[in-house]
Amino acid sequence: MADGNDAPKGAIARFLAAPADSVGKTVFVAVALCLVASMVVSAAAVALRPLQQVNALRDRQINILQVAGIYDPTADVAESFAAFEPHVLELATGEFTDEFDPATFDQRAAADDPALSIELDDDPAGIGRQSRFVTVYILRDDAGEIERVILPIHGYGLWSTLYGYIALEADGNTIYGLQFYEHAETPGLGAEVDNPRWRAEWRGTLLADENGELQISVSKTVPPAGAEYHIDALAGATLTTAGVNNLVNFWMGESGYGPFLDRLKAGDV
Amino acid sequence: MGLRSFFDRVEPHFLKGGKWERYFPVYEMVESFLYTPKTVTTVAPHARSYIDMKRIMTYVVIATIPCILMALYNTGYQTNRAIAEFGASGWRASVIETLGIGFDATSPMANMLHGLLYFLPIYITTLVAGGIAEVIFATARKHEVNEGFLVTSMLYALIVPATTPLWQVALGILFGVVIGKEVFGGTGKNFLNPALTGRAFLYFAYPAQMSGDSVWVPVDGYTGATALAVSASDGFQELAARGMTWWDSFLGFIPGSMGETSTLACAIGLVFLLATRIANYRMVAGCLAGMIGFSLLLNWIGSSSNPMFAMPWYWHLVTGGFAFGLVFMVTEPVSGSHTNMGRYFYGALIGVMVVLIRVLNPAFPEGMMLAILFGNVFAPLIDYFVVQANIKRRSKRNG
Amino acid sequence: MAHKRREMLIDPLVDNNPITLQVLGICSALAVTSSLQVAFVMALAVTLVTAFSSMFISMIRSQIPGSIRIIVQMVIIASLVIVVDQLLKAFAFEISKTLSVFVGLIITNCIVMGRAEAFAMKNPPFESFIDGIGNGLGYGLILMLVGVVRELFGSGSLFGITILETVNNGGWYVPNGLLLLPPSAFFIIGLLIWAFRSWKPEQVEEREYKIQTVETH
Repeated sequence: MADGNDAPKGAIARFLAAPADSVGKTVFVAVALCLVASMVVSAAAVALRPLQQVNALRDRQINILQVAGIYDPTADVAESFAAFEPHVLELATGEFTDEFDPATFDQRAAADDPALSIELDDDPAGIGRQSRFVTVYILRDDAGEIERVILPIHGYGLWSTLYGYIALEADGNTIYGLQFYEHAETPGLGAEVDNPRWRAEWRGTLLADENGELQISVSKTVPPAGAEYHIDALAGATLTTAGVNNLVNFWMGESGYGPFLDRLKAGDV
Repeated sequence: MGLRSFFDRVEPHFLKGGKWERYFPVYEMVESFLYTPKTVTTVAPHARSYIDMKRIMTYVVIATIPCILMALYNTGYQTNRAIAEFGASGWRASVIETLGIGFDATSPMANMLHGLLYFLPIYITTLVAGGIAEVIFATARKHEVNEGFLVTSMLYALIVPATTPLWQVALGILFGVVIGKEVFGGTGKNFLNPALTGRAFLYFAYPAQMSGDSVWVPVDGYTGATALAVSASDGFQELAARGMTWWDSFLGFIPGSMGETSTLACAIGLVFLLATRIANYRMVAGCLAGMIGFSLLLNWIGSSSNPMFAMPWYWHLVTGGFAFGLVFMVTEPVSGSHTNMGRYFYGALIGVMVVLIRVLNPAFPEGMMLAILFGNVFAPLIDYFVVQANIKRRSKRNG
Repeated sequence: MAHKRREMLIDPLVDNNPITLQVLGICSALAVTSSLQVAFVMALAVTLVTAFSSMFISMIRSQIPGSIRIIVQMVIIASLVIVVDQLLKAFAFEISKTLSVFVGLIITNCIVMGRAEAFAMKNPPFESFIDGIGNGLGYGLILMLVGVVRELFGSGSLFGITILETVNNGGWYVPNGLLLLPPSAFFIIGLLIWAFRSWKPEQVEEREYKIQTVETH
């Protein structure tokens, strides 16, 4: 507050000395504060947006690199990621499409778009609507032959939808790896889907038998088809386990990547 | 009487000014366990009556005897049956082989002994770990260790699975005694049941071993599911296919936590507690009514995807920890409601919650423990409303 | 004055701790303490927000109309929080993912509002800044203590470095799952309050009631 002895001189000094509770002052403070605050916030948001987008993209790329088994923490992520050949895939036909740019196609947004998605009647994975198109990643060896394919999968566990990728060998039947990058399952139980030891079990597990019947099962007991189709259940996490089992069976089946895998097996990709 | 005179002789050392004054609680514990206590307080856990605490506690322990016997028998029975299929291993098997008793599931003697080898280590661990905590608090706070702990430790040992590692047993009872009771001031001031608090701790801390979706038969290689887990995934009709009939369940020949499986043994305990007026019939009636009413309601609503909706009340009654919880936990006077009207509501709340958790919560197949703890927390609020309603009614009548 | 400032910094650590004595800021203390790294970043963020918001509010305190003062404080705090959130997303993406909404919820952290209303509105900017740092540190101290217990016994590690090898990874330690769940922080904070009050009995509040005991024979 201004000193009582000196009468305020300039217009600004007079305004500052005015009682804070006057109507004019109240309106002025409110407006001025909002202006300053909104400028600071938008400046921060705009200035940092490119960095944040790079981060979000990098995060997704790291997940794909990890599931493909070629993540090297010391190398540049974007550079390692260039090894992949991204394609937008039409699930129903199993064919690649050029309709969308794989770098910008957003499967989750597409699942909400009636034109790009279908409502599932038989929905064991608990996902509601399914996008007709997905972005898949293909990894080729030096000779240009397909080495692995990385396919996005998701489905409902106990508390949340699990989002992840599954990597398959070129035969379209042997699992190379599986990794979830987003879920909210119970820490210590369902959240053990992130446990590297459990994830390691997936490597080499087969999806379907010689007749093409899907046999893979995530369960407590080894199914009749044999141990090569079996992943151990997570201890104490019955419903997360059931969720993972359902979502893998759904996505690897006819409503999921079935047509694409058939083409892959036939060597048409 | 030599023992009495021994106590009379050493007592002065423990009284004010004596050389062991600090250890009076320890002396008092031993002395009053053997003789009638000298002082009687008028607040809970006496349920506002003048019966001394020692008698209540002793009667509750007596009431658990059928459950203990069943616990011994059934633990041994389940284990021996599994051993017949998978073979025996571990120190218990060596003890039994040394004694030459064998693993015959049809021999009551072999079953009891095998069960004892599981129950005893757990019970002793409970007594030692919990007892140490009790004595430390009693010494620091200069109050006596009371018989309440005998009840707590017995109930706790009966509601843990036989397969629980002993260090987990010790951690659980420590948590139950310290967090469930001592932080609130000790016996009579706890608003949660200490045995259940300890059990709940284990349930959340070590869920892989405790969540009740895998069966608690202590033999390597044995996998299966508890009755409730089977009902949750495949419907209660499936139980028969797994060889679990309603009568098995009622008598207690199914896998489960040690003392909880037999509804019959619990019922015998209940009759005893009701006859001695230690258990309040209002809580029992409320709880049964709540459970039966709500499960009938869910039967009527029905569900195509959740088979638990169809589970009838008489199955709810005999599976999981319902009967044991009803008899020994719901009726516990300290953590329950203290008004008669409130006791009906308290019981009913627990009865409804059990069914609600069992049927509608996908994560927890069993709901009795959580329902009772939930009821414990609400008991003071229920009392408050009952008292307020009373005040209102009276002021209207007299006003 | 220097002495007083030092006190302002030290006092909130134990004697006037915002969590254990004033019981403020509990929500985030439950949510973000299952890993030390996250707890550390959260503590840092709250300290910065409390310090700077107190300072800015103190700078314009004589101009803030009483009728809209809470909103003015909120706007300043909220703006700072958004800036912190944006910075984390840009420079510490992994951590911002685990902190998720809780950075945003610093806005509603009672410690920040409490210091603004109780201290910054009546004191000069520099003192307010110091007071904010002190309270942030007091909050951070408890967060770290809770975090040590929860991460060490819940996941067998500290700052992500394995100390006790867990069974799931082939070791011997059976992690305590309760400590991974937010309610466990209630127990730990409760035990901390108990320990603090046993150490400093003057923090114990007066009893609101007395239990009656009748001696009979």
